[in-house]
Amino acid sequence: MTDRQWETLVNIINGERTEKLPVGFIIDSPWLPNWYGIKIIDYFSNDDLWLKANLKAINDFPEAIFLPGFWSEFGMCTEPSAFGARVTFPPDEFPHAHKIINSADDIDDLVEPNPKTDGLLPFMLNRLKLAQPKIEDAGHKIKFAVARGPLNIASYLMGTTEFLTTLMMQPDKAEMLVRKITSYLKNWIELQRATFPTIDGILLLDDIIGFMGEPEFRTFGLPYFKELFDVDVTVRFLHNDAPCKVSAPILPEMNVNLFNMGFDVTLNELKEITQHKVTMLGNIPPRDVLAAGSAEDVTHAVIELIQSLEDRKHVIISCGGGMPPDVKTENIKAFIEAVNNN
Amino acid sequence: MSELIEQISKCIERGKVDKVSPYPPDMRDQEGADELSARAIEEGLGADEILKACNSGMQNIGDRFGRGEVFVPELLMSARAMNAVMKHLKPFFQSGTVKAKGKFIIGTVAGDLHDIGKNLVSMVVEGNGWEVIDLGVDVKTNKFIETIKQHPDSMVGLSALLTTTMGNMANTVKEIKSLFPQTKVIVGGAPLTREAADQMGADGYARDPQGAVGFLNGMLYS
Repeated sequence: MTDRQWETLVNIINGERTEKLPVGFIIDSPWLPNWYGIKIIDYFSNDDLWLKANLKAINDFPEAIFLPGFWSEFGMCTEPSAFGARVTFPPDEFPHAHKIINSADDIDDLVEPNPKTDGLLPFMLNRLKLAQPKIEDAGHKIKFAVARGPLNIASYLMGTTEFLTTLMMQPDKAEMLVRKITSYLKNWIELQRATFPTIDGILLLDDIIGFMGEPEFRTFGLPYFKELFDVDVTVRFLHNDAPCKVSAPILPEMNVNLFNMGFDVTLNELKEITQHKVTMLGNIPPRDVLAAGSAEDVTHAVIELIQSLEDRKHVIISCGGGMPPDVKTENIKAFIEAVNNN
Repeated sequence: MSELIEQISKCIERGKVDKVSPYPPDMRDQEGADELSARAIEEGLGADEILKACNSGMQNIGDRFGRGEVFVPELLMSARAMNAVMKHLKPFFQSGTVKAKGKFIIGTVAGDLHDIGKNLVSMVVEGNGWEVIDLGVDVKTNKFIETIKQHPDSMVGLSALLTTTMGNMANTVKEIKSLFPQTKVIVGGAPLTREAADQMGADGYARDPQGAVGFLNGMLYS
């Protein structure tokens, strides 16, 4: 992210109006390798190709704010790998992590990982460190520490069904699991911040929030997210593209000031239920419009979204969720142009 | 409806599995679906009647889920309670005393390890009287094809949670429909819409487990 883009982002979060509405996208491995024309495994295993793909994105779409920007990651495997989860990289498909907790009793023995040395984390950090000079030569800086959220990681380690059942049947064990993961994540975020002093934001991604009712979220989610976001940074960014009607009103209490949602709730409604305290990054349908639609479809959807806004403050126009696979250059250009013209 | 049947239905709706289950807290130490269904069979109540209690309990919790009054954890607990009843009813299905409505093959598509939607649909459909063949998660197209060959009269459900595995779902639907045009395929999952399901060539789309039950029953009686 350039200094100017960062300044724009912070201004929007602070409630300032800009001449044009900003455009921002979460971009990572579901979209970048295919768009850049390389195999998924090459994107993950070749630091040079990873960097070139990211540089091409910032060069081709200089007006878009890419979040978190130069995200070094291994799909859903990054954080679970540090616990010892088996990670599978099928040919030409996205990687996934296998569960390691077979019963709630296993949680007692779960060892908290060391982010400096465990799983894929050292590779992730080292890739970013090696790329840092070239990223800065391109006028960008590493601004975000990034991690999957504690509920998301718990569901990978245990299986979603088992984790959500454990919340009800053995709440003490479920809390112990989330507590251990949170402690690990705090160290992981701290390590990223220590490695890159330019970091001034945190991005947590967790769609398991969307499966819970308010009482469960207040018990098993809120205290831990609060703790993770209770860091002296300017931008506290949460992604949850599962249903968010229940959790959205709690975002200010979580210390979140930037939110990327799904597309099941309108931006106007979200702004209302978050008391206009949270900036919204969304919410054009990612697959049906941005990926599967034509450039005209994208233009039409963007204009409709902008015209529907009751208030243009605290909004960054994006898709609901991250950039999905198969989004074409022409659709992104049409998206940006439609925002600029309206 | 007898008092016992009503109690079973209530246990399913509330997710009370058995006496030792601590959930829900206000039913702690009370008998659950497991003990009550065993007692119902001992007392000579018909398996059909017990199955109706399952349907009624799941219907109620499914409706509340659809209205946003309860969420996935509560629904999972209801499904577990229903499974405790089904364990006692299995011999009646095997002996033919109770006949399943049909066979339903279900799995999460290749590349996707999320089991939540698949499990919910599987459990609710089973509680509605269908025989469910659960292929698990990360199921390759060939596995679906082989299973359909073994159970040619079955209907098929495909689940996915990740936007990134939607392509695999579309390929699987296409392959199934090209080889078995008569086999009905229903799809569901968080990132999916009816339009996307139509584009894939699926016969049906369900946004929740009750929707899947409605589709299957609709096909049965169509």
